[in-house]
Order: sequence, then structure tokens, then C-alpha cells
Amino acid sequence: MVNQGSDVMRQPGPLMQQKTGGGYPKVRERTFWSILSDDKYYKWLLLIPLILVLLVFMLYPLFYCIWYSFHEFGMVKAATFMGLENYRDVLRDGEFWLALGRTGIVLVISISAELIIGMAVAVLFNREFRGQNPIRGLILLPLLIAPLAVSMMWNFFLQFDFGIVNLVLGLVGIPKMSWFAPGVGLYTIAGISVWQWTPFSIFVLLAGLKSLPRDSFEAAKVDGASAWYTFRRLTLPNLAPLIMIIVLLRTMWLIRLFDPLYGTTRGGADTELLDWQIYRNTFVYFDIGRGSTLAVISLFLTMIVCGVLFRQLMKALTATSE
Amino acid sequence: MKRVLFWAAAVLVVFTFVSPLGWIYLTSLKTNADIYTQDLVKMFFFSPIFDNYVNLFTKTVFVREIINTFVISSLSTILVMLVALPAAYSFARYETGHGHLLFVTISTRMFPAAVAAIPFFMAFKWLGLLDTRFALIILYLYFNVSFAVFLLYGFFREIPAELEQAATIDGYGRIDIFRKIIFPMIKPGAAITAIFCFIFSWNEFLYAFLFTRNMARTVTIGLASFWASGQVDWGTMAACVCVAILPTLAAAWFMQRYIIRGLTFGAVKG
Repeated sequence: MVNQGSDVMRQPGPLMQQKTGGGYPKVRERTFWSILSDDKYYKWLLLIPLILVLLVFMLYPLFYCIWYSFHEFGMVKAATFMGLENYRDVLRDGEFWLALGRTGIVLVISISAELIIGMAVAVLFNREFRGQNPIRGLILLPLLIAPLAVSMMWNFFLQFDFGIVNLVLGLVGIPKMSWFAPGVGLYTIAGISVWQWTPFSIFVLLAGLKSLPRDSFEAAKVDGASAWYTFRRLTLPNLAPLIMIIVLLRTMWLIRLFDPLYGTTRGGADTELLDWQIYRNTFVYFDIGRGSTLAVISLFLTMIVCGVLFRQLMKALTATSE
Repeated sequence: MKRVLFWAAAVLVVFTFVSPLGWIYLTSLKTNADIYTQDLVKMFFFSPIFDNYVNLFTKTVFVREIINTFVISSLSTILVMLVALPAAYSFARYETGHGHLLFVTISTRMFPAAVAAIPFFMAFKWLGLLDTRFALIILYLYFNVSFAVFLLYGFFREIPAELEQAATIDGYGRIDIFRKIIFPMIKPGAAITAIFCFIFSWNEFLYAFLFTRNMARTVTIGLASFWASGQVDWGTMAACVCVAILPTLAAAWFMQRYIIRGLTFGAVKG
């Protein structure tokens, strides 16, 4: 048995000889395939399908979206060129700023709640305990359910007359709430997205907590640092990149929040967010020019986030694989 | 004492994230009278019925929706993998485009969905492709391809390049290297990526909502249609949720370890 093992070990032998002997074997003949399989061409050959997809699915819609945003569309007549007039209209439109403001509110509430709850739960679960794998598996569930299904579930739980939430609150003497009324609905929608996405924060932060450098924490303990001091001075700075990734990804997803609105208020009750306004203008009012203008603005906002995010992601990817 | 506190907190957390799902499953087994009851005892102790499921499968087009969703999700996932695997390999092994092209790729995923929706709606209308499965397959290819490239990029980076160099020196051709060396090593990563693409397509709502009406409509559209009618049939809706999320629950079961990695585009290894 031992011999067999050493045989296997010896197999790379000839390889090494060849390497030291004469470098790479010469390509015998320059056929078409052999030219293509030269690294220089091969790497681009592999990318052809992706580049085609990007050209068709990225440049085409991007170009047309911007193009449409310079036009006014009538129901019957052809589109007329308007220059930047759509942009002027949108920027002067109170509804746009309201939707943008609401999107901002949802963004701030959801992300801060997700981070705070997520951090608390991650710290709680950052230990070995019995049944940890099934428990973690259960908590992950909300992440995988279709956002539309989640919002319809909660719509059902939050019904005024017979919703379980109002009934349970009634037990402690809290009067029934109408959760999707103007002024409340926006926060309810933020809450629903917090329910679905807090597990995301929990597990990203938990992954971070597990990879913290042990020694500095032991040193802090020896020095008699309080738990809170250690958390603030050691844990938080170490988790900063991960918190950054959570904030950026969630921002990106929340800017285009749509499904939860469809499952609940349908943009009514003062809950219209940016993406819903795009949808309403384009596909309900058929004001394609206005819709495209809003889409371009939303794209612009996302691109800012995206640029920063990409750098963070690449940093994380290269740091872990090298 | 500390243990008790820990378990109390743990139970609270699990309860928060799991009980809504449990409640939906309970609701799917109730009659309308039991759904609308305000009596808390009756809410938990009722005689289960399966009428809601029977209704779902016989009185709605749910079966067609499931088949549509399955066909659309699988075919678009296959397409995505055919495009993404070689591309991710090229990015990971040769740094093709020095990161710029990779950035362009990932930014498609970050586009607001509406940016693509408007031009494609016009184009598909003109081509007569609205309400076809083909339209959604193509859109989900667009929707998932950048995600798949980025996630696979992370997986490919974990395969040491030395192995391939050794094989090249041994005289293996490109195809053999892929078949005998790269593919066996990327298989788990590729499977995870594919499952993610499948789930994202399965759960997608906005494109399905805008691009299908009747023949090609998917499960999420069926779900939304309960909410579209004046009188909501909550029981059947609950049954619909329960069946529609089964594939994702199954996936969650055996991808547990990779869910966070997938959602963060590979940046965080959970």
C-alpha cells in the first residue's frame, strides 16, 4: 500500500523533466485550431458568447432607453424629439421628488434595521451550540422566497379585520391598526423587506465574525477590555468591509424595489417608490418618454453605488483567493 | 442562566423568521370560515381540508403556470451556463480585459430592471414575442448572466492554474483540459450557480408581469392574480404560495452553505 502511494507521488516526475529539459513542447503545425488555442486568441474566443449577449442585452436597451428619454410619445402619432425637456419636467415634478424621498426613507430604515438586528443575531449565534446547522438553515428561508410571495403573505397577516398580527396585538390591548394606510404603509413595506433580508445581514456578518483574528481579541481580554469596548474598537473595524458590502448590495436592490409594492398597496396610499413610478408612467399611462427618463435617472443613481460596490467586491474576491 | 437567555433569544429569532411561513402552510389547510375567524383557539385548532389545493389545481391555470415557469427557468439557466462558463474561465485565468469587461458585465445585473424593460417591451411587441416563453427565456438570460459570470469567476479562481499548466506540458489539448481537469473541479460551483439562476428565474416577477399575459404566464403572475380580483381568495392564495415556494425550499436545504456566497456575488464565503 505504501509503495502504491509513492508511485502516485512519483508521477509528476516526467513533467518536471520536460519542464527543465526543453520548456514547452513546440506546436507542430500551425493549423487554424492551434492558432486559436494560443492563449492570446483563446481567451477572447471564450468570451464571444458573453460579448454578444452584452451587446444585445446591454447596449441595445441602454441606447434606446436614453434615446426614448429624449422623445415624447403620443398614443397615435410618432415620437417627437424633445431634447432634454423630459428631464426638465421630471426634475420639476413634485411626484418624482416624493418617490425619490420615499425610496430614500425605505433605504435608510431597512438598511439600518437590517444591520442592527443582523449584528445582534450574528453576535448571538457566533458560538458553537447544539442544532446550529438546522437553526441556521431555517433562518435562511426568507431569503429564497419570491419577494412577491413574501409581500402577499404579509399582506394577509396584516389585514385589518382578521389579520393575525392585529389579533395578536389585540390580546395585549393594542387597538387594530390599518397597516397599509397613508403614512403607515411605507414603513410597513420597509418592515416587510427587513423581515425578508435581515437573514442576509445575519449570515454575512456571522461569516465575518468567524474569520476575525483570534489573537487581538485574546490580547484585549488579557488587558481587561470591556465587551462593549472590544466590540467597538476591534469587531466593528474588522467587519467594516462586510458592512460596506451589505449596504451597497441592499442599496442597489432597494432602489428598484417593486414586487413588495405590487403585493401590498400597488403604489397607492403614499407608497409610490421610484421603480413603481417608472412602471406607472410607462406601462399604465404609456408615457414612454417620461418612463425612460425616470429609468435613466434611476440607472444613474445605481451606477454611483455600483462603481463603489464593484471595487469592494473585487477586493474581497482577490483577498480571499490569494 | 446565560444558557437559558441564549436559548430564549435563539428561539425568538427562529420564531420570527419561520413562523410566518408556518402560518401560511396552516392557512392553506383552512376553510374560509376558519380563515376569517377572530377566535384565537379556532385559529390553531381546526379540521384541516385540502379544498384549497384542489381548487388551485383544478379551477386555476396553476398547472400551466408551473410548467411554464419550469420550462422557462430551466432553459434560461442552461443558456446562462453556456455563456457564463467559458467567459468566467477566461476572466479568471487570463484576466481578460483587465477587469474592465468584468465590470461592464456585473453592471448589467445592477441596472434597474426598468431600463431594460422599456426598450425590450417595444422590441418584443414589434417582433410579436410578447406573452411567449421565448421572451422570458431571453430576458432571464440577460437577467442572470452577469451574476453567473461573477459567481463562477470566484469559483474558477479557486482552481490552481498549475494543474492546467502541468496538463498542457503533458500534451493535453484544450478540450481535454476542459473535460478532464477543469470541469470536474468546477462542477460543484457550476451546480450552485445553476441552482441560483434557476431560483432567481423562478422568483422573478417584474419581467414576467410586463411580458406575459396569458399563455406564458409564470407562477408569480398566478400568485399576483389572486390579489388582482376584488374578493381575495386567501385560502387558495395560501395554497399557491405553499406550492410555489417548494422548489426554493428544496434548494435552500442542500445549498445552505452557499446561499450567502451566491447572494454576495461570491465576495463572502458563508
